[in-house]
Amino acid sequence: MKTSFNQKDLYWNPVVETLPLRKLRDLQLKKFKRILEWAHEKSKFHRKLYQQAGLEPGDIQSYEDIAKVPKVEKSMMREIQRKDPYPYGDALCVPLEEVTEFRQTSGTTGVPVYQPDTWQDWEWWAEAWAYLLYAQGYRKTDRVFLPFGYNIFVAFWAGHYAAEKIGCEVVPGGVLDTEARILKIQELKATAMMATPTYVLGMADTAKKKLGIDPARDLTIRKITCAGEPGASIPSTKQRMEEAWGAKVYDHVGATEIGAWGFECTAQPGGLHVNEALFLMQLEDIETGELIEEPGRKGKIVITALDRIAQPCIRFDSKDVAEWSKEPCPCGRTFRVIRGGVVGRADDITKIKGVLIAPSAIEEVVRSIKGLSNEYEAVVTKKGDLDDITLKIEFLPEEEKNREAILAQLKDQLRLKTNLGYNIEVHPYNSLPRYEVKAKRFKDLRKHG
Amino acid sequence: MNRREIRKIDTRIKAIKKAAEELKELSAAIPAVDRNTARILASVKMLEINISDVRDLV
Repeated sequence: MKTSFNQKDLYWNPVVETLPLRKLRDLQLKKFKRILEWAHEKSKFHRKLYQQAGLEPGDIQSYEDIAKVPKVEKSMMREIQRKDPYPYGDALCVPLEEVTEFRQTSGTTGVPVYQPDTWQDWEWWAEAWAYLLYAQGYRKTDRVFLPFGYNIFVAFWAGHYAAEKIGCEVVPGGVLDTEARILKIQELKATAMMATPTYVLGMADTAKKKLGIDPARDLTIRKITCAGEPGASIPSTKQRMEEAWGAKVYDHVGATEIGAWGFECTAQPGGLHVNEALFLMQLEDIETGELIEEPGRKGKIVITALDRIAQPCIRFDSKDVAEWSKEPCPCGRTFRVIRGGVVGRADDITKIKGVLIAPSAIEEVVRSIKGLSNEYEAVVTKKGDLDDITLKIEFLPEEEKNREAILAQLKDQLRLKTNLGYNIEVHPYNSLPRYEVKAKRFKDLRKHG
Repeated sequence: MNRREIRKIDTRIKAIKKAAEELKELSAAIPAVDRNTARILASVKMLEINISDVRDLV
């Protein structure tokens, strides 16, 4: 096994990561003006958007002025794509021959959006990931295993390049099956891993049940970086992963059209730092659009990638919901923290039987109950005019004997944490769908008739 | 790290950028030089993001 890193060596870039907040604001304003001018000059889409709003780049003189810049929604990006210059459309700011990377969004919320990047953008992607991996303790002494089939989606590509940039040894575990990946981790004594929360839990399950390997005892993974789902910021899911692997589990947040903009550090402050050197993240009241600067109030994330040039991301309405943390992080970074990570999506928070609920609240309850497996599914339907919600669960085989007590605990916790009553359906162990990426465990069938 | 040290690093970044840009102008007929220089310039941009952009704020 490779050796551990120097604990005093905390920051990828100590200059910007400890910059006082006022100076970070100055840096963000300077960079915002630069990317706005770039997009206005090079992108027909952005120029038209700003002209329609009566805005010139020179109108932005202060941090407060930034709110005057019109927001961009994913639906607007969908509309311009598959047109000239094909296939990206007229938000493209560089000659087509300068594009070196194609990625697309997963299409979770509709038709996928295509994302062009130049090689400079790709360096920038890896740079953003280098900030986050370094903050999570990745060093050149690590051997990093990626149990992931790289493809048309951006997931973990930049993690791979960033780990190389830091100097880690990277093992791509793409086409191997789960058992082969576990055996390779064991053989190589890999020290770190990146995967979705669903797959982290699934791998541990496979290791124990099919290979007789206890990851916490028999493997050497000591840090895991999660992406793609909110699980690593949901305390009960994080705890399950950390116990299963005997490793620290860190969250990160990003998106194809934005970049990797937030990360948990080794201090695990109960939230994610926003990388305020590379991104400008603003929270807006979901109803009024008012800017939220104070802690403890949830708002919708509007975000700008300050250095991305091929297809700029300026005041992108991500629909994600977060709130600022009250406390500074003990790690010493001045990058602000969003408490509990991204707590939901503005369009996922839904009303059931008159109660507002974020699907992550159900996961928090199910994963906090020891006798249940990691999988579940919540299905919302209409019965006549009334909403109805069914929760499908599995007992762990060794816990079947305690099913009545577990069911009572589950019902109590669901009522307490979500204010809703559920129809509980118990399914045989291992019969609910297993996912590798982007699990769909919450199904609202009311919207589809 | 103090302002003087940051400025010193920034001066070196500017020198690398200038050299790489000159190299790119000279190398159009040699793809092996031209494309590797383009990559150098992308890395130089990361140095600028990390140091040059923040030089006057430290």
